[in-house]
Amino acid sequence: MTSPVGISPLDEAREELLREASIEAEASGVEKVQEEAAPPRTLLVFFLGAEGFAVDLAHVRKVLRPDRIARVSGAAPEVLGLMNCQGEVLCILDLRKILSPGKETAPAPAPEGKFIIVVRHEGKEAGFLVDAVRDVVELPASSVHPVLETVDPSRARLFEGTVSYGGRFAGLLSPSACLNP
Amino acid sequence: MTTGTVDLLVVDDGTTLRGYDCRDVLRVEEAGEEETGSAGRYRIHLGRLGGAREVRCREVLGSVALTAKQIRPVPEVLSDRLGGEKPWAVGVTDRGICLLF
Repeated sequence: MTSPVGISPLDEAREELLREASIEAEASGVEKVQEEAAPPRTLLVFFLGAEGFAVDLAHVRKVLRPDRIARVSGAAPEVLGLMNCQGEVLCILDLRKILSPGKETAPAPAPEGKFIIVVRHEGKEAGFLVDAVRDVVELPASSVHPVLETVDPSRARLFEGTVSYGGRFAGLLSPSACLNP
Repeated sequence: MTTGTVDLLVVDDGTTLRGYDCRDVLRVEEAGEEETGSAGRYRIHLGRLGGAREVRCREVLGSVALTAKQIRPVPEVLSDRLGGEKPWAVGVTDRGICLLF
């Protein structure tokens, strides 16, 4: 049976389907363009124990082996001390203590065999002591996901997001939050 | 442009090396045994250049002359995380890094 204007209900349904399909195609096209427009993120992946973290390489000035670190009395617990880095005095922070403040009162970790990642953001600079530097990866911006809601808010503020890397998740550090107490 | 030096009295507070402008030092004296405790064995009386004050330390290591090249700004990240008296600079000496007060 046809409608008075000659369009069957089947045709109407087909047209509706085509319209929806074209809207979806248009939307996905926009997403694709947006994804292509956002530049990929180059991240330095490192570890604290078995836990993986990442920091945007744009904020990393250098990676060093720890040298003699002069302790500083009266400083916050996360301050490991000062290190002379080719005539430049660098403040070294214990990233473990920043990520888990007040969790332990164990003595400062021995820096032997570890690495210092020197991070600079908005004029502030510090070296973060980490256990291992694993990789440099380039990921599409869409790989950065929001921090899980289950993460404690005081800890969540230290992260820009979460990235999936090699089948694992790594917390993407916010340099600003980690450099400012 | 000058190429002078600043003479510092370098002391060890048990954790950190601290440097005080020698011109500011009035005298150094040994604390009595009953008051030594954790505060330190020596009392440094300062105030020749400004307000009188007293600091305690474990050891007096001696004086050192620092050139401008050896004097560096206090890293802001450290300054933000320091309680109490803030150093005005950091000195890079042969003995290690010392905070200048």
